[in-house]
Amino acid sequence: MSTLQVSVYRYNAETDSAPYMQDFEIDTHGRDLMVLNILQMLKAKDSTLVFRASCREGVCGSDGMNMNGKNGLACVTPLSEVVKNNKLVLRPLPGLPVMRDLVVDMALFYKQYERIQPYLQNENPAPAIERLQSPEERDKLDGLYECILCACCSTSCPSFWWNPDKFVGPAGLLWAYRFMADSRDTATRDRLAEIDDPFSVFRCRGIMNCVNVCPKGLNPTRAIGKIRELLMANAT
Amino acid sequence: MSSKRPIHTIKRPVNLDLSSIQFPLPALVSISHRVTGVIMFVGLAFMLWAFSVSLSSPQGFEAVKDVMTDNALAKLITWGLLASVAIHFVAGIRHLFMDMHVADTLEGGQRTAQITMVASAVLVILAGVWVW
Repeated sequence: MSTLQVSVYRYNAETDSAPYMQDFEIDTHGRDLMVLNILQMLKAKDSTLVFRASCREGVCGSDGMNMNGKNGLACVTPLSEVVKNNKLVLRPLPGLPVMRDLVVDMALFYKQYERIQPYLQNENPAPAIERLQSPEERDKLDGLYECILCACCSTSCPSFWWNPDKFVGPAGLLWAYRFMADSRDTATRDRLAEIDDPFSVFRCRGIMNCVNVCPKGLNPTRAIGKIRELLMANAT
Repeated sequence: MSSKRPIHTIKRPVNLDLSSIQFPLPALVSISHRVTGVIMFVGLAFMLWAFSVSLSSPQGFEAVKDVMTDNALAKLITWGLLASVAIHFVAGIRHLFMDMHVADTLEGGQRTAQITMVASAVLVILAGVWVW
């Protein structure tokens, strides 16, 4: 049997009063395809199905979704990794408003990203050449800069579900620490002041759902711990 | 006329059906840490009340002692509170270690979650043996 049972979350604001699950049967011919391939096969069957995808190799971060209960990128998730009992359930990223089918409104997620000022800030005048960094200083950015903002982590985080407007979320905090850890950035104190409140950082309870789902294998929980240490060291 | 509705007036649905979302062991351990914390906070009021009655007079002490040794419900509550303390204590130590960046990786978190489960289960059983 190579027929896969696929159940997809459907919602069209113009015609549906509530979301519903639509069932499909897909013949995989026994191949271990990526989930994105399945979505493309579904789209061929029903062209009204809507999902985001672009690079199809885990670089752009467009096709983050919930596959059999776990967030991930459809393009780099093989069926063998998620399918159980020959069944695949595809739902949009949890906690964000659904625009249509598997497409969510990421505005809240980007708002939190914008809040942490995700760009290098240096108060010293720019030198004639690049701002140099030692290899050791550069090493500190490994495991931080690779984030592609797919939102798999933040939308797997209960703290972000309940307070998406106040808790920065794992992705935003990983980025915040990426700039705090950068030897060329001089704005760490301002960055800390911006998030030094009961919600922005401290809603993280260390449940590690973010680490569990990150398609890039990054560790926001550890970055958040480092931010807490900086907050403590800079306490006035 | 189709049933089209103006988009901007629509309250968009949110996919947050918790039964459809997978929660790995570290998440469950962390959530039970919080739940037991709330139980302890509420239960403390009853424990303080019982403590205050037991200290009020020799009769009060006897009354509390009788309830604690004879009443099945009181025993169950006592055991529940002790179990909460045990789970909260062990899971709290795990969080302290994670704050020190010990086992704050995916594998480490899963390992310590398993250890927390086993250790708190043992303590919960011991608490039950002690109460009964």
